[in-house]
Amino acid sequence: MADTLAAVPAVPATGTPAGTVPAGTATGTPAGTPAVSPRGDVPTADDRATNFFRVAAGVRSSALPRLSLLLRRTAALALLAGLWETLPRLGVVDRVFAPPLSEVLVAWYDLLVGGQLVEHFQASLIRSLSGFALAIALTIPLGLAIGWYRPVADFLSPVLELFRNTSAVALLPVFILIFGLGEPSKIIFVFYACSWPILLNTISGVRTVEPLLVKSARSMGLSPFRLFQKVILPAAVPTIFTGVRLAGAYSILTLLFAEMVGAKAGLGYLIQDAQFSFRIPDMYAGIITISVLGLLFNLLLVTVERRFSTWRTTS
Amino acid sequence: MTVTQTQTQTQTRNRTRIRTENPAQDRPERQAKIVIRDVGKVFRIRGTDRPFIAVDGIDLDVRDGEFLTLVGPSGCGKSTLLDLIAGLTAPTTGEILIDGEAVTGPGLDRGIVFQQYALFPWRTALANIEFGLEAKAVPRKERRERARHYLDLVGLTGFEHRYPHELSGGMRQRVAIARSLAFDPDVLLMDEPFAALDAQTRESLQEELLRIWEKTNKTIVFITHGIDEAVYLGQRVAVMTSRPGRIKRVIDIAFESREGDLRADPRFGAYRHEIWTLLRDEVAAAQEQERTIG
Ligand SMILES: Nc1ncnc2c1ncn2[C@@H]1O[C@H](COP(=O)(O)OP(=O)(O)OP(=O)(O)O)[C@@H](O)[C@H]1O
Ligand SMILES: [Mg+2]
Repeated sequence: MADTLAAVPAVPATGTPAGTVPAGTATGTPAGTPAVSPRGDVPTADDRATNFFRVAAGVRSSALPRLSLLLRRTAALALLAGLWETLPRLGVVDRVFAPPLSEVLVAWYDLLVGGQLVEHFQASLIRSLSGFALAIALTIPLGLAIGWYRPVADFLSPVLELFRNTSAVALLPVFILIFGLGEPSKIIFVFYACSWPILLNTISGVRTVEPLLVKSARSMGLSPFRLFQKVILPAAVPTIFTGVRLAGAYSILTLLFAEMVGAKAGLGYLIQDAQFSFRIPDMYAGIITISVLGLLFNLLLVTVERRFSTWRTTS
Repeated sequence: MTVTQTQTQTQTRNRTRIRTENPAQDRPERQAKIVIRDVGKVFRIRGTDRPFIAVDGIDLDVRDGEFLTLVGPSGCGKSTLLDLIAGLTAPTTGEILIDGEAVTGPGLDRGIVFQQYALFPWRTALANIEFGLEAKAVPRKERRERARHYLDLVGLTGFEHRYPHELSGGMRQRVAIARSLAFDPDVLLMDEPFAALDAQTRESLQEELLRIWEKTNKTIVFITHGIDEAVYLGQRVAVMTSRPGRIKRVIDIAFESREGDLRADPRFGAYRHEIWTLLRDEVAAAQEQERTIG
């Protein structure tokens, strides 16, 4: 019941927990990251994925098992790099379409020195951060209101259910029509895509607060407002953060799409343009950049998340 | 003599007392702190329109400063009764008075300790204890001091900054008790607070609770499944029937002195046996009920 926006019987229950990928959003992220229960400490796929970086950065203790873990994790990456380098050279794959890694890195370095990379990177970052920040600023309050006030939920649910099942990609032409080809349409597009995981997780975070805690707070005579401030909100923070982290991934993934459809700058444009003009190493350089950006962004969000929920971590 | 007869007699006795003595007018030596008058609670069960009677016709008064323990078969409505006294739910019939005034909602004059440690996981031990004080708008500095005082009282000095998940079950329960004591309620409502603890921890917490009770003179209603615990802690033990729960009998526990090992006192065994006998039939009835329902 907490999964859907409200118990609207007319809408087919998708039965998806918080953090669901809105239908049609093109992503390759770990979808369906489970909404973590207030006290549970289930490491998500994302946590495990990022663990590598924490180990690599030496954040954790440097015990021997950690070192062997580090080796195991880097091994796969090294293998990938090795294959990427050798297979094209051996002629197993077509060098033209898949140049060896070293050539790609050289192209990347040239782009960096030439200043283009920074320019495109900056354009993309500003767009995705704007959309992402906008989504956080507007959607969390909306989600809180929907989760907390039944009438708001009843009123908005049908509309939200409808939009939730409308792909962001399908709406991009509409955004372009209304906001033009410039920055606003891209930011709105990212904002739209980012809003859903945040909204759904916020709602579910508010609705799934341990009833005993609410009861306990009520027994101490807390007013509804104080109850919300002192119990519901802190209890919902971890779940909200799961949504924020998913949104962070979406902000980059969806922006890339928008930049490929129509833009004069940005990493998506770089990749697309490089492909059109057959600068294949540049294309791969763009792809690597976007992957690293995504990883770093997620790493940042995970770090912030940990800050906010120290009370959850066992170990 | 049948169960129903005992029950009816108890009820009649209670009712007459309530009707004849109005605590507000002529103050008897130990006036009733909590008056439960013909209280019933009916739940609606989803998917059926058959009402579910949890407790029915409960009559009981708890004297000011009294330590009353409450025993009864599982599912007979003990927690329901506690919620009603706490004002977390409203009775379907009857009324509950505290100091002669009807309960209309929860308040800081009553503190509850729930069976499951209902601590806020995002707050440290100290901050959990401060919670009720914040609700009471106690200034920050005093809040800190009082929270520390109660943390010491339950023997958790040095654990101020631990989060609940970093505490053992017994420690969590002690924090919960400290939290309820900290805002200084007149009435302490405790729902099987020691049930999940090992024997040693339980005994030491029992001692601590008695000590605190003697010192603070609070009125305590204490639910338990343990007959020993009920006899050991209570000045009176109220025995409930199987669902719909009623008060079957209230037994006065009178020891000549509380010095020495109370559990070795021959009267302890006698009380224990009396309550055990009262409960036996009720537990059997409750189990029968569960079989037919479930
Ligand atoms: N909110 C509720 N809705 C419907 N039924 C309820 C509700 N709360 C309690 N009940 C029912 O009322 C009866 C009494 O419940 P209660 O929790 O008071 O029992 P109890 O005496 O505390 O049992 P135990 O000793 O096992 O804790 C049970 O049969 C339970 O199923
Ligand atoms: Mg109970």
